[in-house]
Amino acid sequence: MSAQIWSVGELIAAVNASLKGFGEVWVRGEVSGVKIAGSGHRYFQLKDSDGVLYCAMWASFADRLRFKLQDGLAVLVRGKLEVYPGRGSLQLIVSEVQPQGIGELQLAFEQLKAKLAGEGLFAPERKRPLPALPRRLGLVTSSSGAAVRDVLKVLTRWPHLEVLLYPVRVQGKGAEGEIARAVRYLGRSGLVDVLLVVRGGGSLEDLWSFNEEMVARAIAASPIPVISGVGHEVDFTIADFVADIRAATPTQAAELVVARLEGQLRRVEQAAERAGHLFGGRLERARLRLQGAEGARGLARLPARLQELDQRVRRLEALPHLLRALVQLRHRRLDGAASRLYHWPVRFGAPRRRELVTARLAVAAERVRSLVRRRSVELTGQERALAALSPENVLQRGYSITAREHDPTPLRDAGTVLPGERLLTRLAHGEVRSMVQGSEGSQSSLFEEET
Amino acid sequence: MSTETFEDALTHLEDVVKRLEDDSVGLEEALKLFEKGVKLSRRCRSQLTEVESRVEQLLAEAADGEKPATRPFTTEEA
Repeated sequence: MSAQIWSVGELIAAVNASLKGFGEVWVRGEVSGVKIAGSGHRYFQLKDSDGVLYCAMWASFADRLRFKLQDGLAVLVRGKLEVYPGRGSLQLIVSEVQPQGIGELQLAFEQLKAKLAGEGLFAPERKRPLPALPRRLGLVTSSSGAAVRDVLKVLTRWPHLEVLLYPVRVQGKGAEGEIARAVRYLGRSGLVDVLLVVRGGGSLEDLWSFNEEMVARAIAASPIPVISGVGHEVDFTIADFVADIRAATPTQAAELVVARLEGQLRRVEQAAERAGHLFGGRLERARLRLQGAEGARGLARLPARLQELDQRVRRLEALPHLLRALVQLRHRRLDGAASRLYHWPVRFGAPRRRELVTARLAVAAERVRSLVRRRSVELTGQERALAALSPENVLQRGYSITAREHDPTPLRDAGTVLPGERLLTRLAHGEVRSMVQGSEGSQSSLFEEET
Repeated sequence: MSTETFEDALTHLEDVVKRLEDDSVGLEEALKLFEKGVKLSRRCRSQLTEVESRVEQLLAEAADGEKPATRPFTTEEA
């Protein structure tokens, strides 16, 4: 019997006909040599240690893949066998590809993460800190659900915040488009200082929108810092990697903002308190040093200096800090001062006069102590506490204010007076007119600290 | 008032405090520094607290620079 003779075409057609017997086959192997044609069709080989199978995947199927076909990928593919007449080679027309050993989504996640990391989108130096004053907050999340409730509950802790919610779907087809659009719009709008992109917990599939490239790119391109808070502590989405600050949950994202604001206020209060304390201390020390000052000349100038300082401090509407600082110091000082007053080294000539002055000062000290004991420090109490500094009190204590006859400004420096000049000295009761006979050079100002 | 940002004002305030800690600073200058500190702390505090709290929901995007349509948002609806 003579052998049957086929034409090439006939034979291939017959082989293809017999291949149909296989129907659809599932084949496991490793992808290699991936090529994407202009048409979008993918060509690759599927291989294992025993053989190689050429595969083709038409664009319509390939575009639905959520991950990229990459060399070295272990996969399970579904397809139909045929011999490609043009080359006479066996090939598998693939309609489905499943990654092996790693879920499809997880693979897509790893691939996108690697790609964006490669572009430097996760680089630490890109990360911007929380603004110094995040007073206006853009919130990108669903208007219903736990996330927005949790965030707003935390934000009530700081009653000076403007929140602009851009409601978006946070899962399902198309959600990624809404999220990316919201981030772009709020970022550019200039209406907010910082963006919170958050959603509650869920499966990898639920959180998937936050793993989409367009969301990552929108966050990366945001001109203002973005805080991401997606899912629970364990969930890390691409959005979290690319955001400036990653919070573990929506609640924590809001807490970061509130903590920032509370921290800033604390810094202000501490600085103001410290300034009050430091200055209060200086004022108190200077006043006490004046009390103990040597020589009448030093005393003559005392009220003027005090008067000037007193006016400026009064004009200051001294803050609670200064007052609190002064009173605290006064408490500590009063006991010390009271004891020191009895040894006051002022050369007032007749001892009797010295007792008189010492007694009067003791009374003043006692009066201040009882004043402080009786009243707690409230803002309204400022005037009385500072009254201790006021010129009238000082005059009561035996000091005087001296100035030139027709010039009200108190004299401060003996060097500025010339013999023959007429002076006017104001005492607690009445005034004295006098003429300068001589003066010694100006004493170093009592206010310069002895170095 | 200078357009010193909040952050500048706060760092400026903290510098004032550092200078007040320096005892070689005379009392006159200490007073000036303290007055400056009072002004700065008041400005910082007002910037921190001048915004009144409100939550708005965006209804529609607006063209660049314009204010978008919004309405108050409360979580009861959430």
